[in-house]
Amino acid sequence: MSAKKITGGKTIDIVKNLPRINLANLRPNPGSTKNETRRGHGMHGGNKSGRGHTGERQRGNRPRLGFEGGQTPFYLVIPKYGYNANHSRRPQYPPLSLRKLQYLIDLGRIDTTQPIDLTQLVNSRGVAIQPLKRDYGVQLVDEGADIFCAKVNLEVQVASEKAIAAIERNGGVITTSYYDPRSLQVLIKPVPFFISGQPIPKRMLPGEDLLPYYTDANHRGYLADLDQVQAARLALAKKYGYSLPDITKDELFEMLAQRKDARQIFFGLSPGWVVNMEDKKILKPTDEKVLQYYGS
Amino acid sequence: MAASILCRRTAVLFDVTILNSKIKFLPAAVQQIAHYNPRPLWLNIKNPYIPDKSNEKTPDWQKTDRYDRKLFGRYGQASGVDPAQLWPSHAQLEEMIAEEREWHPPLQVMLENIAAKEKERTAKRTEREKIIAANMAKMPKMIADWKKQKQETKQKQKEEKVRRERLLAEATERFGHSVDPRSVKFKEMVAEIEKEEKKKRKIMKRKKRDEDAGLSPAAAESSQ
Repeated sequence: MSAKKITGGKTIDIVKNLPRINLANLRPNPGSTKNETRRGHGMHGGNKSGRGHTGERQRGNRPRLGFEGGQTPFYLVIPKYGYNANHSRRPQYPPLSLRKLQYLIDLGRIDTTQPIDLTQLVNSRGVAIQPLKRDYGVQLVDEGADIFCAKVNLEVQVASEKAIAAIERNGGVITTSYYDPRSLQVLIKPVPFFISGQPIPKRMLPGEDLLPYYTDANHRGYLADLDQVQAARLALAKKYGYSLPDITKDELFEMLAQRKDARQIFFGLSPGWVVNMEDKKILKPTDEKVLQYYGS
Repeated sequence: MAASILCRRTAVLFDVTILNSKIKFLPAAVQQIAHYNPRPLWLNIKNPYIPDKSNEKTPDWQKTDRYDRKLFGRYGQASGVDPAQLWPSHAQLEEMIAEEREWHPPLQVMLENIAAKEKERTAKRTEREKIIAANMAKMPKMIADWKKQKQETKQKQKEEKVRRERLLAEATERFGHSVDPRSVKFKEMVAEIEKEEKKKRKIMKRKKRDEDAGLSPAAAESSQ
């Protein structure tokens, strides 16, 4: 009889029989937390509570950084080069790393059998977009490119070259597309928009500053020519040294080939349609002028 | 034990079997998909408030098209709003089209603008590069000239210094004591010396000319 040696002894048995870890039986390690000191109580109650005597220091209303009590502050006195010019009006793209995307997919918070756009990312609480804070969408960054292993049809606003390569290496499709702030608000919060009873607006084209990005096949722009995009996919595969999987023979080809029109905000919904959540109906306009406006 | 119960519960909740039968190609890694779970609506759907438009007490903002759309969006057909009202009227459409024409040029126009700007930028750049190249071609000659000029000035200064020292020494010799170079005496002496030198030079010149004239036939003879 050969005795099987079990390392850990009794402990492993105990661990095996313990219930699964969940929120209900998690608590901080003993000694890791400490109650906050409550100022103004006990022996020193009614004194200054360690904050000194009067002024901004005691009241905790220190002015903002760089403020010199009304005198023209130093950061405005010295003329400087415009690295930060217009910083308050520049479009912002909160990052979404491939690591985070893989995490969301692994946890089942994102369904890879459907095309993934900003609605899915926001609904899965993967990113938070604030159009009023000049957010224009997400940027896909290449952190975790080596561990990414999902096949997705992804639509983001900005993507780095390595991130594009990581998506395409796994047989996925990526598109970068532009949403004007109004369309973006509709895209990230569809339900409040549908409840307002307005027709879905048409997506506006990017301005002249962003147009070159979205017409470039190397960035997989949504306005780029599809043949050029295919050529760019092959070139990128060559550059990064992987063989590009043929998506036309894929089981999910239909899903991977889905692409929004340049004027479309939601998959399957055209601009000008009204979605009614209460009746569960889609209303389509019939007036020719309306159709012409939303169709152009 | 507890784990197995929990797993069963989640399986029931998410209905993995149905999901997998519907979609055959679920990736192996994904066991369950947590679909979007929206918050419950904050609206009272059962007993909707539909404002009476004929009533004077109804606030004006509840009589607008926008509010009607909102009502339709919330309560659907029960709101009694005509769905044709949901889209902009012809007059509004005109305005929208005019605005779009003013602020949102079509793709083709934008591409042309970008190309034109790019062309202008490259033209400006090439012109500047041309000027720089032409100037750089002149550079070696300019440097050589500048060096030569500098050397000449230095040489001249040296000669001037030597001459001045010589004059001062001569003055000391002539007057028996050192003389201030700014004084009238010294200046007179310098003028005198210069005059003499001029005379000497003249004589030398004449002599040389004479010599040349006298020598040339002799040289011709000797060469023969």
